[in-house]
Amino acid sequence: MYTQTVAQAKEPVRNDAMYDFLQMATGVALVLFMWAHMILVASVNLDFGGGRVMNFIANFFEATYMAQLGGPVIFLVLLFHFFMAARKFPFRAEEQKAMWTHTVRFNHMDTWLWIIQAATAFIILVLGSIHLFSVLTTLPITAARSAARIQTGWWLLLYLVLLPCIELHVGIGAYRIGVKWGWIKRSTREYFHGMENKLSFVMIGIGLITLIMFYFIVTPDPTFMAKTPIPHM
Amino acid sequence: MGRQLKFNIFRYNPEDSASVPHMETFRLEETEAMTLFIALNRIREEQDPSLMFDFMCRAGICGQCAMLINGRPDLACHTKTKKLPDDITVLPMPVFKLIGDLSVDTGTWFRDMNTKVESWIHSDKVLDPAAQEERMDNVLADEIYELERCIECGCCVAACGKANMIPEKFMGAAAFNRIGRFMLDPRDQRTENEYFEVVGTDDGIFGCLGLLGCEDVCPKKLPLQDQLGMLRRKLGFSAVQHIFGKVFSSKK
Repeated sequence: MYTQTVAQAKEPVRNDAMYDFLQMATGVALVLFMWAHMILVASVNLDFGGGRVMNFIANFFEATYMAQLGGPVIFLVLLFHFFMAARKFPFRAEEQKAMWTHTVRFNHMDTWLWIIQAATAFIILVLGSIHLFSVLTTLPITAARSAARIQTGWWLLLYLVLLPCIELHVGIGAYRIGVKWGWIKRSTREYFHGMENKLSFVMIGIGLITLIMFYFIVTPDPTFMAKTPIPHM
Repeated sequence: MGRQLKFNIFRYNPEDSASVPHMETFRLEETEAMTLFIALNRIREEQDPSLMFDFMCRAGICGQCAMLINGRPDLACHTKTKKLPDDITVLPMPVFKLIGDLSVDTGTWFRDMNTKVESWIHSDKVLDPAAQEERMDNVLADEIYELERCIECGCCVAACGKANMIPEKFMGAAAFNRIGRFMLDPRDQRTENEYFEVVGTDDGIFGCLGLLGCEDVCPKKLPLQDQLGMLRRKLGFSAVQHIFGKVFSSKK
């Protein structure tokens, strides 16, 4: 008992630091994944909805088992990142009220951005999980299957909500990681703030064009939604 | 003739059981070079002598007159009314204990903070009062002085989302700036472990949300953003190195 007490007194508890580091590291990984994901999915636009480029890329990821293994890993990283970041979330009503009152009264851009980040986190957790489950249980990924999904039921609405949520969360998150860990300094903050805004809007724009392509142009796989166990939302 | 300014001022005296928190409106004609400090003094002298607010230096040095001016923490003596709209809302700073109306007790908060971060040079050396003071590089002395300029007004704390969320616990940018100052000082013999013990928790630097309210309102323009980043990176990466070091050394 005595030795434990002495050991504790000498060694600081580093758990909070480690959790914060893991929140940052998983955040960086997810930011990079989401930007890469957007570029790969948007490849459907390259041959104006023909799907050959997208199918080639998807086939590469499945032939190398990166989709089959990487998909579940991304889901686990997403969950882990949520748990790490949730340490900072005001779950108590009293804290929520204090934060909201402060945000409205102060009316400060970076504080509002945090509110957007916190709100979109919950939406991404739910809708992103639905998307991941749907895609990973109906491999292989093809442009025709993605078009079939998006053209069925409420799926388009799901993606119209998920797209801006992810791009805002990812853009603000990348900026905030830079600020919190000191890579973005006072002298470069304005530049990166502007970059983050522009990048988020560009990504939302690319995403919207891709969704329009899938909804209106790409020929859907007619049997896909009928023979798969995906709920017709 | 100057603008007619409308001041909506928070009124409440916790010492008076009949007092109820409410907003009270005062009107004043704007004069040349008027600051909020001048306006509040005129209101107290001409309209309501019971109005409570703090001031001392009226030159942005003492930090006493910090308050929320249209929602933003700032010093009343620093704030020119010509930069404000006709309608001005003035509230006491949150997080700190309210003394009355616009007056808050920042002293207790800062005393607690300075105790928590052990805001003094830790050294085993015995001071020889007759000896010359140890020399310090000019550049380093300037860097330390830059962080020493904090006037403890509390604006950074009032602008902090996390401090508003958990006011009793979160240490705030003033504390991180203070620790940063001692980390720079070669006379302070504290080890990284000892600094870690003080600020390396979720109530310390790892609880900071990076909202930069502190950075944006500091009336002295202290480099708070850079301090927060330096502290988190330094302590965060040292923790990772420590934990991985332990894992690998136990495997050997």
